Amino acid sequence: MRYDPPFHRTNGLWPALSILAVLIGLPLFVVDPYTRHLLVLSFIFAAVAASWDLSLGFGGLFNFAHGALFAVGLYSFALAVKFLGLSPWLAIPLGGLVAMIVAALIALPVLRLDGIYVILVTIAVSQLLYQVTVSQSKWTGGTSGIVSLPALRVGDYSFIRDGKIGYYYAALLLLVLATTFLYGVIRSPLGRAIVGLRDHKYFAIARGVSEARTRLLTLVASALFTGIAGAFYGSYVRVASPDVFGLSFLTLILSILLVGGVATLWGPIVSAFVMTFLSEAIVGLGPWREIIMGIVIVLVVSFYPGGLWAAVQELRERIDTGRTAMLVSWRRRMQRRTRVDRMAGAEEFLLATRHGCIAVSDTGGDKPAILLLHGNSACKEAFAKQFAALKAEFRLVAFDLPGHGVSDNGDPETSYNVIAYAEIAEAVIEARGLHRPVVFGWSLGGYVGLELAARAKVPVAGLAICGTSPLTVVPDDFAAGYDASSHLILASKQYFTRAEAAAYAGSATAPKSAESAYLHRNLPRTDGRARVYMMTKLPVVNWPRQMRMLRDGKLPFAIINGADDPFLNRGYLLALCRSEGWSHPLVNIPNGKHAPFFNTPQTFNEIFLSFCRQAFAAAEGQDARATRP
Amino acid sequence: MDLQTLVSILESGAALGILYALMAFGLAIVWTTLGIFNFAHGAFIATGAYLAWQFGNAAGFGLGYWAGAILAVLAMFALGVVVQTLLVRPFERHRDIVLLTVITTLAGASIITNLLNVIWGPRMKQIEPALGGEVTVGLVHVRSQELVMVVVVAATLFAIGWFLLRTPLGRSMRAVAQNREAAQLMGLDVRLLYALTFGLAAAVAGLAGVFIGSIRFMSPTMGDDPLQKALVVVILGGVARFTSSIYAAFAVGIIEAFSTYFVGLYWTPAVLFGLMIAVLIIKPEGLFGRRQRSV
Repeated sequence: MRYDPPFHRTNGLWPALSILAVLIGLPLFVVDPYTRHLLVLSFIFAAVAASWDLSLGFGGLFNFAHGALFAVGLYSFALAVKFLGLSPWLAIPLGGLVAMIVAALIALPVLRLDGIYVILVTIAVSQLLYQVTVSQSKWTGGTSGIVSLPALRVGDYSFIRDGKIGYYYAALLLLVLATTFLYGVIRSPLGRAIVGLRDHKYFAIARGVSEARTRLLTLVASALFTGIAGAFYGSYVRVASPDVFGLSFLTLILSILLVGGVATLWGPIVSAFVMTFLSEAIVGLGPWREIIMGIVIVLVVSFYPGGLWAAVQELRERIDTGRTAMLVSWRRRMQRRTRVDRMAGAEEFLLATRHGCIAVSDTGGDKPAILLLHGNSACKEAFAKQFAALKAEFRLVAFDLPGHGVSDNGDPETSYNVIAYAEIAEAVIEARGLHRPVVFGWSLGGYVGLELAARAKVPVAGLAICGTSPLTVVPDDFAAGYDASSHLILASKQYFTRAEAAAYAGSATAPKSAESAYLHRNLPRTDGRARVYMMTKLPVVNWPRQMRMLRDGKLPFAIINGADDPFLNRGYLLALCRSEGWSHPLVNIPNGKHAPFFNTPQTFNEIFLSFCRQAFAAAEGQDARATRP
Repeated sequence: MDLQTLVSILESGAALGILYALMAFGLAIVWTTLGIFNFAHGAFIATGAYLAWQFGNAAGFGLGYWAGAILAVLAMFALGVVVQTLLVRPFERHRDIVLLTVITTLAGASIITNLLNVIWGPRMKQIEPALGGEVTVGLVHVRSQELVMVVVVAATLFAIGWFLLRTPLGRSMRAVAQNREAAQLMGLDVRLLYALTFGLAAAVAGLAGVFIGSIRFMSPTMGDDPLQKALVVVILGGVARFTSSIYAAFAVGIIEAFSTYFVGLYWTPAVLFGLMIAVLIIKPEGLFGRRQRSV
């Protein structure tokens, strides 16, 4: 099960379309034939490097005969137009076809080998092809190659005319087709099998992925546009020379791939432009050019293995963090009144903790206290209805987790995890002077509550959780405790599209309506890193300690879920609650969804109220026993 | 084919073989010990030749053939240690060390080759041989330089064998190659031994370069062909024992000599690479290697 929206519904659509529009419009401004020539080369190399990434990056198959596949496309084009008299338009797809056949032949030895042996056998194949090409000088012209190949033309119009404008658009079309093809392959079941085999070979095989078949298809798919690009290159430079078999061509494509970022589709495409123009810019330096390129490769591999694409992602993350930080400082000042009104007049305080500035809503007073912990990508105002309904009898306190609501963004490495959230909850309990509060945790907040109680640094009177499956072993129990719906996968996704944000907020609390609109407006404020880091740092929590505490049974505890929670696996919870020695109630509220306190507040409040009363009574009894002489 | 032809084919095969043994040794020992393929090996061979030319030839410092060769070998040892420190050590213990070092050593090869071009220029050079003239032994006519080469290479290989099998340092190197963790637990300095192994490989590559430079012409890219030959030898031989790549070197030399005679010079590289692919498919651990469950 994986969540993958179609391309036109991802965040990548508009950037990709605008860059394409720029590239389509560019010849209007770039009339210099030499710059256009470099752009054409960039398009071709981008298609070759991105295709190589399918086997090298996504597949982990180090096919060093990739340059030879390009050469195969080039030579089959040259031979077809020169000796068969084939039209160049037919010879270009033929180049792709022949390259695919050769790739299938290369796959035969590769099927049995791994790691370094794949590199060696593909180098040997590539050298074999080179030697055969050079030795057949009657056909291939030996080391001087096949010259004066025909240019592409439509009718009488040669593509070279008007500053190579025809070649520019043909090469752009080639790149667009190659990108579309690779995008489709990567996200198809085949693409997942390719990545699966790379990441965990035996697990993938056990899941029914055929290693031999997948490797064969990987190589063949990576050969298609490599061969076509080779043939197109032949029609463009109009020479088929054996240089393309050589190490320097391979090194150029490899440097494009590495500098762009391995195992990304867009990285090699971006870096093809950078590297082609860079290597042209320093062409006057002679041998120093190769030295500089070599040093660039070593530096990138050593110090920035993610490449350019990782830099782009980092920039995007910075922009997004800046956006959320600005949103917070604006909302803190301008919308304070609205929030106080929404929380039934509860004052909002800012509390400095070691995880940043935390916003706390507190109704105050000398009543038994309840601390409410909100869930992933929500805010403390999710509990507005409880603040209104329960403040007469209890003191209600809620706060925004770091990266959520109007709290500061935290340091992702230290502040976006369940343990840090529990530390903040402790800091809030101490700073607001809450004596033995009942803690209510919703979803992610449920884990924060469990961790808070298990740490036992501050005493709590009771704990109720909602939309949370208590876990013992992570990640196994996490997979069992939840239904793998696509919306759950959003819980750890860094950036949401509009549709995803609406879907996630809708299934986590309520579909957008006048009543829930403020929760939907709050969602884009959440720091995307909070979702990612919280999920990846789940394993650092001491889960068995939480489960021991629950089974120990000393702490009043209840699970209050919506009966039709879209995320929870009810079977897991039923099994847990029916297991031996389990003494805590499990309540399912009809029509409750994932946030029953918001969707069916009346039923929820009744149940929660009776739980709180019992918990406080038990705590009072304990206090009384403790103080009795 | 008369006896004379056969003997001369075998003779040229053996001469090639002993040179290939020298060229392949460094590649094989780095692969066994560090578990990586050093694609800068060919560049090492070229550098060794140029250094020997610089130190020994009259146009350089004019120290004479032997002094030039010895200084070049020592300098290559240092270069090997430097390359290992810069291009290989940062990726030790990395999951993708094999691919990463292929990339960095390829880049290193490109850097070294082009530096040679910058320093000594692309013009062909040759190291003056230690001895001129020819020697006839029975049916065999050889150039004296080749005879010198055969003697020196044989002595070098025996010395390396003695070093690896009998001296404490050589044994430590083999221990690290056989089981890194166990060697480390026994208190061996793995990082140092890795660097020394790489240095030794580079020094032997440099020596091979000295001989190639005195029987053929030198150019910055003169290491490409020896690197390919060394690859074929190492694949054919496997790396189970120190000696297996020596046998394979002779096998390759003789196959090459026969193939040049029967199918022609142009097809010989294709024959060798075809053979290498066949070996990789049928017996990836090498003809003299022990069978392993996975390679």
